[in-house]
Amino acid sequence: MQRFLDPQVLAGISSLDLLARTVVDGFVAGLHRSPDFGFSQEFAEYRAYSPGDDLRHVDWNLFARTERCYLKRYRGETNTQLTILLDASNSMQYTSGPPMKMDYARFIAAALFYLAIRNQRDAAGLIVFDDEVREYIRPSTRPGQLARLFAALEHASPQARTDFAKPFRHLQNSLHRRGIAIVISDFYGDPETVVQTIAPFRYRGNEVILFHILDPQEIRPAMSGPAVLVDLETEQRLEVTPEYTKTRYRERIDAHIEQLRARARAAGMDYQLLITNQPLDLVLREYLSLRKAEN
Amino acid sequence: MGFLAPWFLVGLAAIGVPVFVHLLRRNVTTPRPFSSLMFFERGIQSSTRHRRLRYLLLFVLRAALVLLAVLAFANLFVRRPVTAARGRLLLIVLDNSFSMRAGTRFTDAKQQALETLASRPPAERSQIIALGGQLEILTQPITDGAQLRSAVESIQSGDGRASFADLGRGVRSIAESEHGPIDLHLFSDMQRTSMPANFADMVLPNNVSLTLHSAATGVPPANWDIESIEAPVELHNPKDPKLSRVRAVIAGFNTPNAAKSLSLVVNGKAVATRKIDVPANGRATVEFAPLDVAYGFNRCEVRIDDSDALPADNISIFTVRRADPERVLFVHPSSDTRSANYFGAALASAPQGSFVLQSTPAEQTAGLDPSRFAFVVLSDAETIPSIFEHALEQYVAKGGGVLITLGTGSTNRARIPVWGEGVRETRDFARTGAVSVSKVDFTHSALAQAQPGTDIGGWADVRVFYAASVDPGGARVAASLSDGTPLLLDKQIGEGHLLLFTSGFENLTNDLPLHPVFVHFVDRVVRYLSGNLRLAGSALVDSYVPLRSAPGPASVLANTDVIDPEGHRPLSLGEARTAQTFRLARAGFYQIRFANGQDAVIGVNADRRESNLEPIPEDVLKLWSKTGSDGTQKNLSQDQNRTPVSLWWYVIMLALLTAVAEAVVASRHMGTQREAV
Repeated sequence: MQRFLDPQVLAGISSLDLLARTVVDGFVAGLHRSPDFGFSQEFAEYRAYSPGDDLRHVDWNLFARTERCYLKRYRGETNTQLTILLDASNSMQYTSGPPMKMDYARFIAAALFYLAIRNQRDAAGLIVFDDEVREYIRPSTRPGQLARLFAALEHASPQARTDFAKPFRHLQNSLHRRGIAIVISDFYGDPETVVQTIAPFRYRGNEVILFHILDPQEIRPAMSGPAVLVDLETEQRLEVTPEYTKTRYRERIDAHIEQLRARARAAGMDYQLLITNQPLDLVLREYLSLRKAEN
Repeated sequence: MGFLAPWFLVGLAAIGVPVFVHLLRRNVTTPRPFSSLMFFERGIQSSTRHRRLRYLLLFVLRAALVLLAVLAFANLFVRRPVTAARGRLLLIVLDNSFSMRAGTRFTDAKQQALETLASRPPAERSQIIALGGQLEILTQPITDGAQLRSAVESIQSGDGRASFADLGRGVRSIAESEHGPIDLHLFSDMQRTSMPANFADMVLPNNVSLTLHSAATGVPPANWDIESIEAPVELHNPKDPKLSRVRAVIAGFNTPNAAKSLSLVVNGKAVATRKIDVPANGRATVEFAPLDVAYGFNRCEVRIDDSDALPADNISIFTVRRADPERVLFVHPSSDTRSANYFGAALASAPQGSFVLQSTPAEQTAGLDPSRFAFVVLSDAETIPSIFEHALEQYVAKGGGVLITLGTGSTNRARIPVWGEGVRETRDFARTGAVSVSKVDFTHSALAQAQPGTDIGGWADVRVFYAASVDPGGARVAASLSDGTPLLLDKQIGEGHLLLFTSGFENLTNDLPLHPVFVHFVDRVVRYLSGNLRLAGSALVDSYVPLRSAPGPASVLANTDVIDPEGHRPLSLGEARTAQTFRLARAGFYQIRFANGQDAVIGVNADRRESNLEPIPEDVLKLWSKTGSDGTQKNLSQDQNRTPVSLWWYVIMLALLTAVAEAVVASRHMGTQREAV
């Protein structure tokens, strides 16, 4: 568990402080204030009692001293919920060097859980999926939630293929409150299909962010000789040449990324490409900066 | 081409490793996992072509590396023609034997040799050899034409007898160190008598090419020679009809009937002339008697007055020494007079005998000086005065001779006088039956016989009844009995000799005195112990004369002296003190002073086999020529004319280069695999 709580990573994220929290409801606790008063612990003001008010909110101590009946009002928080959908398909276990894509995704998820639960006291949940939902932890703020999430991340091992339809249907059926859904995946699929599968959730007022994780070799494969490649998900074998990887493959992967980015933006979703050799804190800082710029 | 260590070829099986890796497993590639192939397309043709080319090159390099390593261990070699490996050697052999004196043979042969030498390529190495009584190598293989020509011109006609067997042995010895081709040019009269009894002795090595240059052409000329001379070595009484005569045999080769005149020349003065008819290709005997010569050494010769093809063999020389009869001291026990009688009778009957026997009882020898006698016989002497024994020891050490016999008196004798050792045991064969003489060493001067025959030269009939067994020690056993008991032993002490006859001369211990061989034995023993065998007479060219009996410290060695026919002293001062023998190289009279102080004059004649000028038949000469590299054996053993040259260095260097190339190609291949994904 400790490996997800790298102090350097957390220090890097904390330096962004509260500005980023105000941009998105509940994404980072403290970044924004709720327009409605709620029942959080932060005191806001007193208001004179009027008939019909809930007597539970009367400040009886003040009434005892002044014989005036006032109601205590608190500055309520959004109490949004963060749900991370983690792709645990076989393609996530590819690596050309540490860290593995799956590990990198775990780092991001853990850091976000920590931010949400410890700093924002938001509910956080996790869905681990491949072609089915492997693990589902309902968003909650209960004590021990962070430990459960971390344990679920630990147990999430890549297997099977990726299928976005099932996990998002499950998500739509399970989450009734508005919240933030972060999808961490390598998104090997038709961008239009991926976005169409995720888009309906956006229509319910959820904020959807796509973290596209790729290995450097997946973007710029360096091959000086022919090789036989095996698809980690389909186990298909293919003999490829270095000439192709230097030309056609790069064009196609770039087109795929750009298409995914464009479709996501068009559907009102945020998209961020993450390369596993990039520093983790910089990725989060860049994303929060991006959120700040948008708002 | 071959392999010096062919068993290492088993290592060729290791080529199966690259074959398995590259050919059998060439389509087996390690697939590399990748997250998704949705953006890839198949590229088989290009990859296969690259892989096949790279794998083929790598396979060839690795297979070549294994092959070269195996060849290096197996030590591959090729046979190169010897001409490529070594230069040719021109071997010029000029026959300067006695027969080459006939006509202009030697001059012609030398001229031909000089012409052959002049026509050789300047860079060709050449060697000059003279073939006379000995094979004389005059130069090493050199290219200096002047030195070679000088060597040929320095060869003079000699008196020796050529032997093609010696030539074959010499050339074979040269060929052992000279592996290149040898062109042997033989300039000779190809005399038939120069051939050995066994043709194989003449066979030349395979790398020798024999070219014969015959100096004798046409029909062999008629030639007469003095084949042999029978004359006394020592003459005591010129009026003795048995000894005072010279008998010469004249022989003709390719000769018709002819009347020849022979003269006897003594000290340069013709003393007698005889005419005789010699039959065609036959022999005739001429006798000159009496032979009246002066005291001392007389240089005599018998010559054919006419000339013929080879005048040098018309003279045969010999030496006759006239002296008063020498005394022989015969010491015997008082009770034994029979031994002296038998020995004296035999001595008087000896053909060369000129000795007077002085018989003395053993106890009366105290005052005798042994040096006054030719030699001394101790016949079964049980004891002799110690002063006389001491005198005998000194006498022997200075070159005297003593004959000791052991009769029946040896039974109780613990020690043999002068001999120094005692009787080991006595063997009385009278009870078990007499034993015979089984072994006789006819090379010993005291027993020498020209043709012993199957009866062991007459010794087989001798019966021995009693003999003493003596430990031979360092003595030479010249004869022994059938039971192994030594009968005659010869021990050298200083310059003299001791002969020990382990039985007696009294006709009791054996019946030797009754056999004719006893006379011959006594004659030879007398001449051997008195030293007269070598003092006069004649000898053949290239025979050796012993100058001293045994080597010893230089400080105690006496000088010897030799004067050759030309009056020169061929021995240096150092050689005169140390030389054991001397080779009589030329015909003529040699004056010799031996280490024991005796003087001798010896007439030396050329070997009479050189007088037969008949050449070797042509077919034999052709057969001989073909035994070298020009013959049939050349085709049969061509490989032997080639020298193996190992290719180890070339192979190992090529293997090294291949290993470097393999490393480069393999590293590129491995690098590709690392960078592949």
